[in-house]
Formats: sequence, structure tokens, C-alpha cells
Amino acid sequence: MNNKQLDSIIDKYHDQPGGLIGLLEETQGLLGYLPEYVLRAISEKTGRPLADVYGVATFYRAFSLKPRGRHLALICLGTACHVRGAPRIVEEFEKHLGVKAGETTKDKEFTVETVNCLGACALGPTVVVDGRYYSHVSRRKVREIIAQTKRGQETGDPAADRRLVPMEASCPACGQSLMDGKHPTEGRPSISLEFLSDGGGGRLHLSSLYGSPVAEWEPAPPPSSPVSAVVLCCPHCGKEFESRSLCAECGADMALLRIHGGFHLEICTVPACRGRLLSLIPTPAEKRT
Amino acid sequence: MKKFQSAAELSSYRESLRSGNGQGKPCLVICGGTGGLASGSNDLMRIIKRTILERGLADKISLRITGCLGFCEMDPFIIVEPGNNLYPKLTMDDVPRIIDAALAGTVAEDLLYREPGSMIKRVSEGDIPFFSGQTRLILGHNRAIDPIRIEDYLRTGGYEALEKALGAEDPGWIINEILESGLRGRGGAGFPTGKKWDLARRADGRRGKYLVCNADEGDPGAYMDRSLLEGNPHAIVEGMIIAARAIGADRGIIYVRTEYPLAIRHATLAVKEADRRGLLGKNILGSGFGFEIEIFHGAGAFVCGEETALIKSIEGKIGEPRQRPPFPAERGVFGRPTCINNVETLANVPYIIRQGAAEYLKIGTKNNAGTKIFSLVGKIKNTGLVEVPLGTPISRVVYEIGGGPAGKTRIKAVQTGGPSGGCIPASLFDLPLDYDSLARAGSIMGSGGMIVMDENTCLVDVAKYFMAFLKDESCGKCFTCRKGTQRMYEILDDITAGRGTMEHIALLEELALTVKDTTMCGLGQTAANPVLSTLRYFRHEYEEHVRDRKCAAFVCKDLVGPPCQAACPLDTEVWRYVALIEKGEYEEAYRVIREANPFPSVCARACDRKCEHKCNLGASGGEAIAVRALKRFVTDRVDPAVYKPVPAQGNGNAALKVAVVGAGPAGLTAAHYLSLAGYTVNVFEAETEPGGMLSSSLPAYRLPRDVVRKEIDSLMNDRITVTCGRVLGRDFSLADLFSLGHKAVFLAMGAHGSWPLGLDGETVHGVYPSIDFLKAWNLRGEQWARGRVGIIGGGNSAVDAARVALRQKDVESVVLFYRRTRGEMPAYEEEVEAALEEGVTIETLVSPVKIHARREEIEAAVREGVELETLVTPTRILSRGGAFTGIECVRNRLGDADASGRRRPVPVPGTEFRTPLDTLIVAIGERPSSTALGKMGVALDKGGRVLADRVTLLTNIPGVFAAGDLVTGPNTVVDAITAGKKAARLIDRHLHGLELETPSRRRVRPEAFIAPANVSDKELETARRAAPPALPVAKRRHNFTEIDSALSEAAARKEARRCLRCDLDFIDKAMIPEKRPAPPVKKRRSAKTTDAAQANKKPSAKPRTVSKKPARTAKKTGPDRLAPRNTTALKTAKKPAARGNTSVTGKKAGKKR
Repeated sequence: MNNKQLDSIIDKYHDQPGGLIGLLEETQGLLGYLPEYVLRAISEKTGRPLADVYGVATFYRAFSLKPRGRHLALICLGTACHVRGAPRIVEEFEKHLGVKAGETTKDKEFTVETVNCLGACALGPTVVVDGRYYSHVSRRKVREIIAQTKRGQETGDPAADRRLVPMEASCPACGQSLMDGKHPTEGRPSISLEFLSDGGGGRLHLSSLYGSPVAEWEPAPPPSSPVSAVVLCCPHCGKEFESRSLCAECGADMALLRIHGGFHLEICTVPACRGRLLSLIPTPAEKRT
Repeated sequence: MKKFQSAAELSSYRESLRSGNGQGKPCLVICGGTGGLASGSNDLMRIIKRTILERGLADKISLRITGCLGFCEMDPFIIVEPGNNLYPKLTMDDVPRIIDAALAGTVAEDLLYREPGSMIKRVSEGDIPFFSGQTRLILGHNRAIDPIRIEDYLRTGGYEALEKALGAEDPGWIINEILESGLRGRGGAGFPTGKKWDLARRADGRRGKYLVCNADEGDPGAYMDRSLLEGNPHAIVEGMIIAARAIGADRGIIYVRTEYPLAIRHATLAVKEADRRGLLGKNILGSGFGFEIEIFHGAGAFVCGEETALIKSIEGKIGEPRQRPPFPAERGVFGRPTCINNVETLANVPYIIRQGAAEYLKIGTKNNAGTKIFSLVGKIKNTGLVEVPLGTPISRVVYEIGGGPAGKTRIKAVQTGGPSGGCIPASLFDLPLDYDSLARAGSIMGSGGMIVMDENTCLVDVAKYFMAFLKDESCGKCFTCRKGTQRMYEILDDITAGRGTMEHIALLEELALTVKDTTMCGLGQTAANPVLSTLRYFRHEYEEHVRDRKCAAFVCKDLVGPPCQAACPLDTEVWRYVALIEKGEYEEAYRVIREANPFPSVCARACDRKCEHKCNLGASGGEAIAVRALKRFVTDRVDPAVYKPVPAQGNGNAALKVAVVGAGPAGLTAAHYLSLAGYTVNVFEAETEPGGMLSSSLPAYRLPRDVVRKEIDSLMNDRITVTCGRVLGRDFSLADLFSLGHKAVFLAMGAHGSWPLGLDGETVHGVYPSIDFLKAWNLRGEQWARGRVGIIGGGNSAVDAARVALRQKDVESVVLFYRRTRGEMPAYEEEVEAALEEGVTIETLVSPVKIHARREEIEAAVREGVELETLVTPTRILSRGGAFTGIECVRNRLGDADASGRRRPVPVPGTEFRTPLDTLIVAIGERPSSTALGKMGVALDKGGRVLADRVTLLTNIPGVFAAGDLVTGPNTVVDAITAGKKAARLIDRHLHGLELETPSRRRVRPEAFIAPANVSDKELETARRAAPPALPVAKRRHNFTEIDSALSEAAARKEARRCLRCDLDFIDKAMIPEKRPAPPVKKRRSAKTTDAAQANKKPSAKPRTVSKKPARTAKKTGPDRLAPRNTTALKTAKKPAARGNTSVTGKKAGKKR
């Protein structure tokens, strides 16, 4: 992380009373942990004593002063998981990875941590690896989880994956097709849109398979935009896509495209966000108000 | 997007939504909450979307992705409206069929929900006991709402309460309404919400006021706040705006814990959406009232659930509580008046305002109005979120809604209130769930976590768990909390590791009370509750851990050791003989079995396999090692002569005579061990041949007669005399035995009487007690059953009787009547299956008394063709002219749980039905025939069981010992053998005037090291549990040929390779032979179970077998006086151990890949 990024985060929270926890959270979100130099920098720039910053950073469980591995396995030790044998699951992870809970493997691949409760109590024992939930984890399953994480998420053939939904998109305003056969993604024509941002504009090629995260920006949006929204418009009529709802992932505006069969695809206008929603429910009565 | 400028605009928009399209078509509802997603509901959603899109079904069907629907156990499931058909635990392949059924207006029958156990099909959600038992005032809305669509919330009447609240001239009206409703804080303490608001309203608000929604659901085991915030975030936002209006707050904060990413997202979205629509902001709906909400992420500190700590946390500081007063209502966030309410409390607010306090008061009990959501989790069948009126008894939640225990165990306790709460024992399950009753019982309501614990949960471990949690979460401000929780944890750790003393328990209690009295905040004051409540209700578990070094739940590893060995009442080193089978050392394996168990061949067929039930492989999601089948393999293969114990000579015991009454497994075991110790033993048997239940009750297809005879013969020696056909009380008395010179008497006559049904006509011709029926066949070859046969009962003896009847020549059909459901049948499931297959019918939910039979028996019976009729109770025996003609039964439903923890069958009036029968066998339970003993002055209990001391086995008559079924009532073979073994040891001590009350401690540490096999990951994953070959139904239905045969050598060795070798976790490192280079123990362990790849890389780490047992003889010379006399036996056992050392190493090493 460069100073500029840190500065911009500090600025963001600076005038918020009590913003320290949010500031630390966002910083850790970028770095994976809170190195000493960052704590010092925060102390200097916010004027809060280093002891204070350190105190808060060590009081709350969410913060880590040690670097974490590429993958983070959180094992729930809530009461429900405990009575269903979670301690054995911790042992199993420790055994397979050769580290204790709270530690990171030497190759920096895995960090194993325990958590007080993930709130998925009915499904215990629960483990979350890199944000993915595993329920009813047994000792046998631990090996599979580790292997699967090391392998990475399944990268099967998108055409054969029934969970990916093929879509034909068009502009709700001019009705022209947005499908772009010249720029295929995953073996299908992509959905091609125009985008405008502070630093200029370009083309966005989205996968036309719902469920696929593929999105290619030409050129890549300027560095300031990952966090802020861009304007998405139709390459044919140039009209900005209407926004009806907010992104369930990040809360930003969603751009609304039409999909065959009378449906809508909403895509988040923040480039860094993968928020997409294939909506089967026509939003009624909007036009009336 | 237009802002609503007034309540009227909002109202008309809502109306337009309600009248809009989308009505009338079937709708698939699926949970997109954390629980659903974790169970794979996302994949189902995609398939649904894809199908609808591909097939152009948009006008015909719709999809609603909701938050948590509460029945998390069944995830991922789909509910199809309008029929509310619930399809549980679906896979992607099931989706198209559900869509087709929905389109056709039908149901996909085979995918519908069925009740676990009874398999009763439930077509509609409302018929499922889990839902029908609830009052889903708050949670019910989740089903109608896609949390990312405000329209859904509006359609259900969302923000109507806000309109009403804003319309009120005086906001004091809101507070009055809430006060009158009696709403109490759902976060745990139950402070009246109206009162809290009133205080906040009166506070000086010139600098602004805060309203905080506390969603820092830190209680482990509770997740209702997450589900509400995830599933219906607008309800919380609406509740907050109303609260803010009531107290005059201008700023709101939702404090959500960072572990709830989806709740954070949905809450954030709801706030933004409400803002966009003019429901938040400066001039809400044109009323002039302004309020804003921001989301604050809690960074993971349990103490921040405490209000003053939470305030500190919002201020960006360390979350340490502070002294009150000043209360937050005066000085809260940034010094401003602050009102803090829990998520669920706020979710209740819109309901109360919309429906009125009077309506709300109708739900719940006095001082406890409304509903409470509980997260019913842990060892329970139906886990999920349960909303019931306050005052509902715990038993209704646990048994009717929760469906009772998850497995075949009994529920022991529920834990409520998280780390601040306590454990409530099953005996108090009549307790109403309200704030005051729970507090009186030593627990608290808390946020509503209800963790169910069964016999496999150790309450000392639970207390330790909470103390580990609290010592970490204590903020450290108060010394007594900081050090007190730490010290309590250490004491509990000592107790669970076998280092505890009785003084520890007293100290723990004192410490707990001190922490409770001397700390400042809620965390500290309640931190002792987990300890105090478990000490209050489960002190015996603490004492057992300390005194007997025993953890009955098998949780405290250091007290248990290898679980298979610990589970065996005979202390058989199961892991050891399994390992020896893997090495091909069958004779040595036999010696290991035989040394612990004088009836190895019998147990290889009739043992109830406690070891398999505790096998770590089974407990961790795999299949348990087939221990009994391996034992059968060894006992069938090895000549018993390899283990020939020689009675002790010249110790003077030969002159001492002991009488044993009853030649069943208990009596013969005692006689055997007493004879080995040198005593002269006279055994008296009432029947014509020895064996007790083994020969008179167990059917030959399970246990062939010659196996029993051979085994008994091998136990005999010239010190033992067995006299058959002699009945105590008829042919001789206790006094006679003593006057004949016996110095001690062991009563082991078993339980050979049958409980009667208690109905008129039980004595008519054609109605028989099962024991008599089985004896008539087994001992005398008489076939009593004919025509249509009815069996009453659900235990093993019922299933045995059914299958024996099926094999008798004049029998047409066999129906088994049982008063509960098949899931509750105590018989072995396989046996029941087999019986049904062979032709037996089973009627369930029928009969009146408790029975013991096992699952596999049930299965076997069903396979053989026994019909099952469950949920029925016989009400009348029908007869004509003194001959039996049939029975009348009433159908039952399952009600509350009885003392045994199983649900009581409740007769349904008007459902009586008659079944014509020719023979009726009553198998509802056995009891000792002990009238004669009572006449001789032996103390008995009400059931006719002999009252003998649990530890010394002594009856009220000096020198008379009793054990086995005679004392316990009908029990297993292995328990009878254990009783006989124990009796021999105690009688020996008694005759030498030694103390009888010695603690019997089991062996935890292995006494031998056997190198583990190299098993690859792939083999571990693919290897399946070995099943012994069995006779097909057609070949066994009409004869008594033994059904199961032994495993082949290849199958047995393959099976033995699956063993996890848990013994290696407990082995004394010094016993592991040196290697070059000496690898650390840990490495070896990982090589043993899974990491074969790693092991394969190091050819130097080839397995070597070394057995040594220095500790064994040394230990046996201690408390067990019988063993040293039996030195010959021990020596024979030891020699081949040394041999195994060399031969196995060579053989195995050569063979290894």
C-alpha cells in the first residue's frame, strides 16, 4: 500500500468522530493485516496516541497485527458448533496444515483462525474459507476443504455448467442488441457497453453467462474508479442506462439492461464490485409514479 | 426514483403494489440467507432462473429469494406457493421436477418433506410440526420478503406503522403504546422497552440524541438478529424510525458485528433505499421529523454487547464498560442521550404500533407479552429458528417443534442465554420460557440461543468452553473478572484432564460466587452462570470426572483414551486387535479379545457394539469400523485353545466354596473368573441347560446353539460344577447354600418374566408372553404360533419373537404393533429391516411399556417380511369361547417427552380399530421373576429387581451379591458379562476381607505400540465399511440357519486398515521404538491417518511393530486381585507379543508398496 492510499482512507474517516475502528477495518481490508508502520502512520496523521491506536487494534478480534496467509480458514467455535465437535475440526485443520489456530503456514498459504460464532448455528460445525461457508463439517471433510481451497474455485467448462445462465441482452431504451460477437467471452458473444468515468471512457465486455464474474474493461478504468461508480450507457443510442435499484453487494446504483423473455439484468456501476442481478420480477408501477 | 413526500403517497404506492400483477401464479420461495447459501441454495436459484428463462415461464411462475426461513436443518429447501409445499434438502437435479409440479398445480410427492423417524409425509408447510407449533409474528414475514426489495416489505404492510406513528400529534402516544404492550428488551435482560424510551425521551436532547440498534449478536449459538437483519431489514429500519420519533432522536446507528457480512449488506441497502424513498432523512414523509441511520461494524468483542462498552466502541475506543450512572439515556454516544435497543425488540415495534398494544398483549403470558425467537441448535433433530409465545414450556420447543434428539441418545439439557446463561436439565423442561422463570432456574433468556445437549455432551466441558470464551472476552477492567474467569478456566481444565480433586470443585464454586458479586458489568456478573448452573444440576458429572476419572460423554479426551476401548464395558483393547488383524496376527488378536472377554464368539454375534457407536470414524462423518464383524472373523478362525488359562493352585482358595445362581452370561463369567482364582464354584441353573438368555431367548439364526455350547465348554474346568434344573426358592433356599458351606452367593438369574399388557383376557389361549414363547421353541422345540400372529412391542425381544414366529410352520403372517414410530423403536434397525423383509408387518405408535431392542434387528425383521404397525396402542383383547380372536388398538400421536426423553404416545380418541389374529405375543419388556427372592428376605424394587449396591454389588443379605439383568432389568449380553467379571473380583476381595469400594479406573494409555499401516488418502476416502455376507431372505425365511457369516480374510484386513488408530494419540512416547532419524511423534500421527503421501516419501519411516506391555502386569497386581493368580493366562498372552515383534516387521516391510 502506498502512502497515497493510506492518506485517502485516513482522510475519509478523519472528520468522523470515532472513525478509528472503520479506518483500521478498511486498512486491514487492503493489506490483510495491520503492520506497525501503518499503526504509526495512523497515529501521526490522526493525532491519536499510538498507545490508543495499538490498544484498539489489539482489543478487537477482527484485527490482526500479523500477516495472514493467502487463504483464511475461520473455524466457528460457537456453542452449537462446539457441542457438535468443532474442537475436533480445529485439531484436524491443525494436523493437516501443521500450524496451531491463530497461525499461518510457513509457505504463507493458509491462516487458521477460530471465531466465536458465525451465526450459522443450525448448520454446525461451520467453517468459512475465504468467505465461502461450509456446513456440517466433519473431520473427513476438512481434507477436502483444504484441497479444494488450494486448487482454487472450480474452473470447469462454463458451457457445461448448468448454474451459468446464458442471456441475450438489449438496450431498454433503443431496443438494439448489446451482444457483441466480435468480442466473445467464455465462448459466447459478450454483452458490450460503453462506460464513462472521470478519467475518460471505454468499453465494458461482460460475460453473457449469468453467474460468471468475467468482465473486461477496455481500457482499464482509472485507479480512482474502483471505489466510485462509472456511468454505463448504450453503445448504440448513447443513453445512460436507467437505475432502479441499489446493488445488494455495495449499495451503489445498478444499471438496468433488458434480457430476452422480458427480464432484466442489473449490473453494479462500481467497476470493482461484481454485483449483478438477473431479475425475474418485472418492477411494476414504476412508470406510474 | 421518486421520494415519498407524504404518508398518503406512500400509502397509495403500497396499494398499487398490492393490486399489481404477480398474484395467483405459483411462486418458488428459497432461502438466500447465510444458512441457505452455506447449504448450496445459490446453485438452486441459478437453476431455477435458468429454467424459467429457457422455457419462457415468466408469466407462469415466479421466484422469491428470501432471508432465513428458519428451518435451517432442511436447507436447501424450496417452498412452493400457494400450496406451501416444502421440498427439503434438494439437489440441482430436483429443481426441474419441482417447477413442473408447480406449473401443473400438483406436488412432487417423493420430494416432499417427511418427518424423520415416522416418515409421515407433510404436503404443506403448515402441517409440519416444526412450523405448526410456532407463532411467527416477527419471523413469518421473512417468507414474503426479498430483503433487497423494499416493494416486498411494503406489500406486507411495511411502513404502515411509521405512517401511524408520524401521524400522532404527541410522540408520547408511541411510548404509551409500547409501555402498555409490555414489550421487554429481547437482548436478554428484559428491561421494559417503553420505560427505556420514556427515560430517553425525558433526557435533554438539545445537542441531539442517538438511537442505537444493537446487532452485535455476540452470544455464540444465537442467530435470530442476523436472520432478522438479513431477511427483513426494513422492519428494523421502521422500528428504529418509530423509536427515534418516540424519544426524539435525530441520529441512528445500527451496530452490526463484522462476522455478519450479509446482514451488513442488507442493512446498508435498506438504509440507502429508505433514504432514497424519503423514509429517512430530513423531513420524513413530509412530517417535519428528521432521522438518519448509519451502519457501524462491530469488530468482534463480546463485551460490546454491554451498552456502555458498545458506546465506547462506537466512539472508536476500546470497548470497556463503565460505571453507571450516568445511564446512557443521559450520557451515551459522544456524551449525548442514547437509547440502545436490540434488533428483535425493534422488529416487534412496527407490529405493536400497527396492531395496537391490546392485540399484542393477547400473546404470551402476564409480564411476558409477545413472542420470542429462539435459535434451536445443537443436538436436536430440527435445528433452526423457532418463534413461540413467551411462556411456552421448554419441552414443547424441544420435543414438538424440535422433534427431540438428533440421534438415538437422550437430551440432557438445554443451554440458554449464551455465556451469561446457564444449563437447564431435562427434568425441568416443563419450565415456561419467560424471563423470570429462566432467571429462577439459574439461567437467563439472553438473546435466545437454545443449545440442546445430549448424552454425548459433557457439561463440565461445556462449563470449560464458556470459561475459555469469557476469559478471552473479559475486557480486563475488573480484577475479579479478569483473573476469576482465568482461574475458573484453569480449574475446569484440570478437572477435564484428570487432575482435579474434590477441593477443586469447592474452590470453583467459591470463586464463581466471588466473581458474580464483585464485578461491574453484565459480563462479569453473569460470567459465573455456566459454572454455577452446571454445578447446581450436574454436580455428579464433576464428581465423576474427579472421583472416577471418567467422562461419560466421551468428550474429555484425556479421561477417555481410545474411544472403542473406553466404550467397551469389558475394557477390551479394540484398537489393538484391529491393528493385529491388519498385520495378519490373528492368534494374538484372539488373545487380546479373550483376555478381556470370556464369551468372544457369543459377542462376535450378539454384542450391541458400543465400540462401533463411539468409533471416531463414525463420529467424524465416516462409517465406523465393523468391529463385531472383525471379532467374528477372528473367533471363527482361531482355535480357542491358543488362550488356555490355568486355575491358580495352592493359594488356599480351593477350600472356599462360592455358589452362583443362574448359568447365564453373568453367572458363568463370575464362575469362570472365580475358578481361575482358585475357588470351588457351584453353579445352579433353573433350566435344563446352561446359557441363560443365550440359549433360551436369542434365536439360533442370530446365535447358533453349538456356538453357545462350545463357548460355555471352553470356560469350564474342574473347579466348576453346574447343576441344571435346580430352582432357587423351589428346590433350595439361600440359607441352604450357606449351610452347604458356601462362603458367598452370587445371584445372576437374569430377567425371565414378562410384563403383562394389563388388559383383560391376557390369559386366554393364544396369548403368550414373549419369553415363554421363545423358551418353548428354543429349549423344547414347541411351535406355539399359528395363523395370523400379532406381536406387541418394539424392542429386540419383540423383533426376535416376530422372526421366530415367522419361521414356525403354521404361521400365515406376522404383524408387529408398536406404540411409537419406527424411528423410536429401540430394536436394532437392521433386524427390523430383516424381519419386514422376511414377512413381518409392523404397526407403530401402539403399545404401553418401554422396550429394548436395536435398530439392525428392526431392519432385518422388515427385510424378512415382518409388517410394522406403528403409533398404535392395544386397548382390548378379543376372544370367543376362551380362544383368542384378535385385538383392538387405538392410534396414537407423539406428544411431549417422557422421563426417558422419548416422546410419549398420546391416544387419538375415535381411531380404534380391530385386527383379527390367531396368536398374540406380548413383548413389551422383561422383568426378573424374583418373588421367591423377596420371600427369602432379599430387598427388591417395585419392578421386582434386586436392590444391590452399585459399587459393591452386595444385597441387603451379608455375603449375597447380585448383578446382571436381575438388578438392572433386561440388558445386553456384554453388560451381563461385565457384571459377572466385576462380581468375581468383588467376591474374591470379600472373601479375603478386603475393601470393596475401590475406584475402578480404566486404562487410558495404550499398553502396547503397534505401528500404523500406511494408508493412502485415496484408500481412506474410497474404502467402505465391510459388511459380512448374509443369507438372502428366500434362503432364511423358514429356517434357523445362521444368517450372517464371517468376513473373508481379505475383507477383514482391508476393514482393519480403515482404523484411525486413535490409540496413538494417547501412547506413551517412550514406547515408540527408536527410528533413524527419530521422527517426532506428531509426524507419525499424521502419517497414520491421512498424510500417506508424506509417509511414502520417506521410505525410512517404514512401519515396524513392537509390542511391549510392561505396565500391564504391574497394574493388574494392583487393585485387580484376580489377575495375578491367573498368571498362566497372562504369560500365554505375552509370549506371542514378542514374536509379533519380529515376524510382523519382516513380513509387512517386504510387502509394503
